[in-house]
Order: sequence, then C-alpha cells, then structure tokens
Amino acid sequence: MGATGDSRLRRPAAFAAFLAAVATALLLLLGGGCGKKGDGRTVLVFWQFSPLTAIEPVIARFESENPGIDVRVEQLTWQSGREKIVAAVAAGRPPDLCELGSTFLPGLVADSTLLDLTDQVADLWPALVGWETAAAHGRAYGIPWMLGTRALYVNLDLLRRAGLDPTKPPVTWAELLAASRRISERVPDAKGFGMNAGEREILFKKVMPFAWGNGGDILDSTLTKSVMASPQNLEALRFYLSLKPYSLLDRQEMHDQAFGKGRLGFVISGPWLLRALPKSAPDLKFSVVLMPRPAADRGTHASFAGAEVLGVFRGAKRKAEAIRLARFLVRPENTMPVFIATGNAFPAAVGAEADTYFVSHPMDRVFLTQLKTAVAPPLHPRWVEIEEIVNGELEQAIHGSKTPEAALGSADARIAEVLARRP
Amino acid sequence: MRRPATGVLPWVACFGLFGLLPLLAALVLSFQAYNPLRPDLVRWIGLENYGRALASPSFWHALRTTAIFVAGTLPVTLTLAYLVAGLLSRIRRAEGFFRAAIFFPATLSMVVISLVFKSLYAEEGLLNAWLAAAGLGRVHWLQDPALALPSIMLMDIWASAGYYAILILAGRKTLPREQLDAARLEGLSAWTVERRIVLPHLKPVLLFVVLLNTIRSFQIFIEVFVLTRGGPLESTLTLVYHLYERAFYHFEMGYASALAYLLLALVGIVLLIQRRLLGRSAAGNPA
Repeated sequence: MGATGDSRLRRPAAFAAFLAAVATALLLLLGGGCGKKGDGRTVLVFWQFSPLTAIEPVIARFESENPGIDVRVEQLTWQSGREKIVAAVAAGRPPDLCELGSTFLPGLVADSTLLDLTDQVADLWPALVGWETAAAHGRAYGIPWMLGTRALYVNLDLLRRAGLDPTKPPVTWAELLAASRRISERVPDAKGFGMNAGEREILFKKVMPFAWGNGGDILDSTLTKSVMASPQNLEALRFYLSLKPYSLLDRQEMHDQAFGKGRLGFVISGPWLLRALPKSAPDLKFSVVLMPRPAADRGTHASFAGAEVLGVFRGAKRKAEAIRLARFLVRPENTMPVFIATGNAFPAAVGAEADTYFVSHPMDRVFLTQLKTAVAPPLHPRWVEIEEIVNGELEQAIHGSKTPEAALGSADARIAEVLARRP
Repeated sequence: MRRPATGVLPWVACFGLFGLLPLLAALVLSFQAYNPLRPDLVRWIGLENYGRALASPSFWHALRTTAIFVAGTLPVTLTLAYLVAGLLSRIRRAEGFFRAAIFFPATLSMVVISLVFKSLYAEEGLLNAWLAAAGLGRVHWLQDPALALPSIMLMDIWASAGYYAILILAGRKTLPREQLDAARLEGLSAWTVERRIVLPHLKPVLLFVVLLNTIRSFQIFIEVFVLTRGGPLESTLTLVYHLYERAFYHFEMGYASALAYLLLALVGIVLLIQRRLLGRSAAGNPA
C-alpha cells in the first residue's frame, strides 16, 4: 500500500508528538501550583468552604491592601473536602491557607501536619473567641474564623394547635418532653421532636448537648480519662430516649424539610435553616430558642460548638503570606460579609455581635447567645476514634439494641482502651 | 498487524499513568504502615495489614454485607433484565421509546439516583405517603437496620436492570432468524424455544452481564455514601465503604490498600468460579 511508507515515517513523529503532549500535560499538572507569577507577584492558594461569590469581595480587598499577592481561592465541599485536603497533604502540595472543620482538626494536630501558630497569633487571642477548638496544651494550631452551633427551632402553629402557649416555648427538658408529647398526640400527621437517625456520624452533636447541659462530658478535664458512664450522661441519654415515642426518626435534612412543611414541632438545627425557611416555607410561623436545660434551677442551655478554623500546613509554600491572609480574614469587618452571605456560622471576632445586622435579625442573635453555653469537642489526638465510639454506642441506644446503661458503659470501656493505647 | 498498536497508544499511556501505576502503588502501600498526613513515617510491615484485616470483625462484617448485596442483587437484576429484554424484543410499536425509557436510569449518575431515592425513602417521603394513602403503616426504609440494605439493593436493581436488559436485547437481536422459523414450523412451544435456542445463544452475553454486574456490585460505595454512610448499626457497611473510612477518616492508607487488594482477590475468585460455571457452555456455543 502506498500509504505504508508514509505512515512508517509518520508513526515515530506522531508518537513523539503524543509523548510531548503527555509530558506537557504532566508538567502543567505538576507545575500548576507555582508560587510566583511572571510579574513577580506571589500567588497564594486558599481552600475554603464558602461560595466563591461570598468570599471573593473580601479577597479582593486583601489583594488591594497587599498589591504583591494574588490569592487563588478554591471552594471545597463538606462532602469531599476532607479527602481533597488529605490527598493534597499526602502529595506534598497542600494549599497555603486552608479552612478546616473543628472535628477534622484533632487528627491533623495529632499527626503534626499543621503549623504551630502560637507565636504568630499571640496578639489575636483576646480579639477572638473559640480558641478551644483550635488550640491544644496552650498551643494554637489554627485561628478560629467562624463559629457554629445548634439551637431549638419551634413551630409556633403546632404549639397553638396542640393547645400550648406559643409565647412560652420549652425551656427545660420536662417542658420539651411534655410539648413534644402533646403535639404528637393532638395534631394529626405531626411529630413533636426530630430525633436524628440514619446518620451515625452526627449523633454526638445531638445527644451530648443534653449531657453537657447536665454537667456530663466525654473525657475529664485532663483529657486522660473517659467519663462517658457518668450519672449525668446516663440521665441525659435516658431523657433523650424518652422523646423517641414522639419523634420523627430521620436524617437532619429530612427534619429540616419536615419542619418547613409544618409537621415537626421541635428540631435542633443550625442557622442555615434560618436562611432556608423564608424561601421554602414563607408562611411558617416559627421561632428559635436556646437548647432546653435539665431544669429551671439547674444545668445549662448547652449545645454543640463547631468552628471553622484557618490553618497553615507545615508543607505550605508561602506560610508568612498565608498567616497575613488569615489575620486579615478574621477581622470582624471581613468576617461579617462572609457570614451575611452564607449564614452558616458566626464570626469568631469579639464584638461581632454589636453589628447592626444582629439588631435587625433577632433569631440570629439567639445563636450568638447559644454559642456562649455551647461546648466544643476536645482537641484530643485520638478524637476521630473517640467520636466514632460515642456515635456508634449512641446509635445502638437510639435503636434500642442496647440499654442506655450498656451503651454508655461500653463507650466508656472502649474509650478507656483508646486512651490507654500508646501513640 | 503493527499499525493498530499505534492507535491504542493513547489508551495504553492513560491506563499506565492513571490505572496501572496507582494499582501498583497501592500494592506497595498495602505492605506499609502509611499515614498520608505523615509520609515521613512510612514503614514496611510486610503482610501485617493483611493479617490485621483477616482478624478484624469489621472486615468480616463488611464482607458479609457486601456478599449479601451481591447475592441479593445479581440474580434479581439478571432475571429482571432477561425478562425486560424478552418483552422489548416482542414490542413492535414505539420500540425506540421503550428501549430509551428502560435504558434511562443508566444515563443518570449514581449520586443523582441515590439523592432521588433518599427523598423517596425518607420517613416523610413519597413512598410512605403512598403507603399512608393506601391505609398502610409507615416503613422505615433507611432507618430500620433490617430494611436499609434491602432498600439500597432495590434501588440498585432499578438503576442497573435497564442497562443489562439493553445488553441482553442486543444479544437477542443476533438470534438466527432461520433457527427460530424452523423451531416454529416444528411446532415447538415458546418456552421450549426460549430454553433450547434463545438461552444457549445468549450465554456469552449473559456471562458478560454476570461478570460486569458482579464487579460493580462488589464495588458498591456511592449508594452507601449518599444514603446511609454504613448505618444504621453498620447494617450497610460494605467493603469499599469500610475501606474509605479507614483511608480518609483514620488515615490508614496502607491498611485500606490491603483491604482493596483483598477485595480484588475476592472478586477475582468469584469471577473465575462464575466463568467456570457459565463460561464453558458459553464458549461451546457455536453462536
């Protein structure tokens, strides 16, 4: 065939061109994170979870204040962000600055993956709250940026239909139980309380607030001993389970939906629901109150405290610039726009509550008050394992495959085993 | 004969880079204690990860769950796909529409399908609303440990049966017309024709469908990730989800790699058995 001779000539050339293309693609892939642009400006990589539309105006201000720095912002998702961060660290190419969930932090601190920022942020300690989510043994491994918590959403119409006074939402455990029962029994197709099921990974955030409010905890103050089987925890778990007959057992997002449809009296949820309800259920009459306390004369209105922390990885290329950006981001004038745009978590900056936004948004203010009695999980190096144990045992108690005593006893023994294990 | 080799070069390069290389890297990792956050502390530990997996109750529990999933979905999917393909082959009007409708779930991402089913299976979801309208009680599709896995299996069967039905239908289209006409002239019943002519003819396709479905079923992850995260009470903890948790929550990448290789070996053994059982007669079929 006439073409054979040509193709013999062309084949090595085509192969070489193909190899060159692959090599170029690889170089582009591997070289994608270069720190200097052609014009000498520094490119800073910042990974975070907010929509880009929320963060970009703030970043633009930072860039105008720091003309030599270009910030490349990338948005992570809470579903897959952890994997992306782990993969980047493993590949030795972490972002320069990264937003991290507080429950993700203990593992990173335990593995010495994060830079100790104590000396660089010493002056920020009085300016921010929530350091317990970012610091261990007096050393700061991140800077608290945003703080999140959960409060009790109350359907006022259901209270009224159940013959309860909507101006007096439950303040104590007994009132919550009585109102949940009344709604379940008196209002057709409605349940009193939203009990989390089918998502083991968040159970401690929903059950432990009752224990924390009752003086209970997971570990003692030295973080060396489990106190899971304490009478305070047992009383709290027993109370939580007493809500089960009057509860909708489902995942959080289904609770939020059911609440919006007016079929759930009470749901423990975060501030995101405040943004969603006016759109999904504009006619719903609801309020947000503090988590109930054990009794009017004892305990606290405890809730789960989570934080979004800004961390710098040891392997980051531009640490100094990353810290400069972090310090800029935590300033109240820079956190408020992000909070207003997203509504998921509140500024960690002291004095942010004085912002006029909270005057015109009283329900957001409830979350700020809730934050004062919210409890953050301990920054313990073995927290991932401890959390898994607590969630697993609580799930067994909720499903009735273990008694509250057995579940807490088992959690206590298993956590003690984890704590006793050598690092 | 050498010319086609140039054509497959891009594929070979891509497979080598994104398939074979990670596969070999994972094999090496499976013999190491490797925390991706502390690559500097990597240690060679030989077969320790494999020994640990084989001694772990979680591994055996996840294996059992996966085996139930495979054993529960494979025959039902295959039977359903075979029946649907048979029905489709008999349709003379709007054939294209029905084929497209049956194939439709295969065009959707499993994440999308899982999200839709998450709403359907919700306590306040559509399925329970229908049950309530029919005067029946609420079913805790994903909250009841006894029902969560069957609910996922049901979704998986719905999502995949159409795809396999189209593959089987393609096989049916190659049936020799003369053979069927001759069978009819001889007065053979439809059942006899199906059993003695159609089924033997379809065996290579069926073998392919069985192997493909087996591999897919052993790899079940997205459905569990979106719907249940392994719960309730670990009733849907499959091998790949277990592996994912060890890798990305506990940072035990070496151990997770060992789990992946154990899964690979297991799938390999099952496929060999299936080939032996189904393949011999399929290979012997002149079609």
